[in-house]
Amino acid sequence: MQDVVVLKGRKIVKGRAEGRALMTREAISFMGSTDPKTGTIIERGHEIEGECMQGKILCFPTSKGSTGGSYMLYDAVKRGVGPIGIVNIQAESIAVIGAIVSDLPMVDGIDISQIRTGDYVELNADAGVVKVYRDR
Amino acid sequence: MQLTDEEHAMLAGEQGTLIQKSMEILVTLGEIYGATRMVEVTNVHSPGVSYRVAGDAGLDYVKEASGAGHFRVRTTLNTGGIDGFNWKEIGFPPDFVARQLELNTAYEDLGASPTYTCTPYLSGSIPQVGEHVAWGESSAIIFANSVLGARTNREGGPTALAAAVTGRVPAYGLHLDENRKANWLVRVNMKISSDRDFAVLGYFVGQTVGGGVPLFSGIHERPTLENYKALGAALASSGAVALYHVEGLTPEAPTKDAVLAQTYQTIDFGPIEYEAVVAKFSPAAPVNAVIFGCPHCSIEEMHRIAEALDGRRLHMDMWVCVSHPVYALAERSGYVRSIEDAGATILRDTCPILGATLDKGFKVVATNSGKLAHYMRGLWNVETSLLQFEDCIAVALQ
Repeated sequence: MQDVVVLKGRKIVKGRAEGRALMTREAISFMGSTDPKTGTIIERGHEIEGECMQGKILCFPTSKGSTGGSYMLYDAVKRGVGPIGIVNIQAESIAVIGAIVSDLPMVDGIDISQIRTGDYVELNADAGVVKVYRDR
Repeated sequence: MQLTDEEHAMLAGEQGTLIQKSMEILVTLGEIYGATRMVEVTNVHSPGVSYRVAGDAGLDYVKEASGAGHFRVRTTLNTGGIDGFNWKEIGFPPDFVARQLELNTAYEDLGASPTYTCTPYLSGSIPQVGEHVAWGESSAIIFANSVLGARTNREGGPTALAAAVTGRVPAYGLHLDENRKANWLVRVNMKISSDRDFAVLGYFVGQTVGGGVPLFSGIHERPTLENYKALGAALASSGAVALYHVEGLTPEAPTKDAVLAQTYQTIDFGPIEYEAVVAKFSPAAPVNAVIFGCPHCSIEEMHRIAEALDGRRLHMDMWVCVSHPVYALAERSGYVRSIEDAGATILRDTCPILGATLDKGFKVVATNSGKLAHYMRGLWNVETSLLQFEDCIAVALQ
């Protein structure tokens, strides 16, 4: 049996994606928090340090830090080690710019506390909807 | 968005595909943030200049643009991935150097000024109060907004490039009066004076306010340029702060009432908060390298380092990171000789955060920079110790 939670937010970058969620309650800097060659979270002491964003719907409150993050997100996506979608509470420009040039589906205005790492997520950015499936 | 005739023409491709694609990105961004128009910018500071940051994807992106047009507003370049003067001696890997030089050429062919620094405001780019610009580099953005009173959002590489070729950015965020009010009041309940003190304050507040606009009260002595540089760099590393105010001191904060939003949150900063940040950067193992110049050293910092090292001999690696223009003045002033004679390495155009990671045997790096202490741990897989300037010097001379 599965529980399904439907969360409604706002489209940032169009597109659809589905896959497992990687969720953190801490902000991310794509320059400094992540390694664009492997997709691994490398920021020391970060809640999801050591996890990999490759192929995941990456759920985090907002982006922070270096403005190099836009290209570093783009580079990770191009190398195939980036996330396949982004879900934020509040979209900050550096991740937004990276997602625009990467054609990466992205929404914000989502209560990410409803999502857990490992949940199966359907992201419909066009509609601003995130569907979360969790095994009971 | 309501576009002018010229902007419509840009979007329609009448001025070429590079300008069209750039305008599409800017319109997309503007629509996300509810902008109703574009604003003209007078200059751009481009991030994404280091090959470490741009990667192959960014390199291809900039090269494609470089073949298709030219910057129309003055554009300075952020810190790159190599010391452009001594890369061989310092030991930057040849593959990385080759890619970096390709990227440099692509940017310079577009018409960018080869500044290669995170401190464009120390290399002749000083926007005025109220001037709209498009800057990347988180530490420079916050300096431009807060200390100079200029107006920029946090631009990434692709939007800085788009702004440089169109001379436009969408009018949202910090370009608008209403978003420049402080929504956090930070009561500073202790005396802070050194660059490290300001870095600690910035690190704490950035963690707490995220992308907010803090107003600092309780700072009574005018901070130095270096204090502001340290404060902003730390605020923009632990958080996404792009603008802060200091009551009675920064240009948009003559009084608390003038700059506080109608609703705001209040936090306190005192010795407990100070020590909590320091504890995060207090490794048990001994320091084996010292790094200054994050953001790049001012001439006053070069002077201070030269004076502290003059006639002495270092017992560990020390790196001093600086822009070429400030280096040139430091060389003429005799500071470069004092620093190098003591055994320190001066790096131009780059730094450990944006430069290639090198195999130098660094295990515990001491610095007075909150930004460097924050990023270098993950990027170089080292420990970092956030010390006062004098303690960094003392440990290196021990």
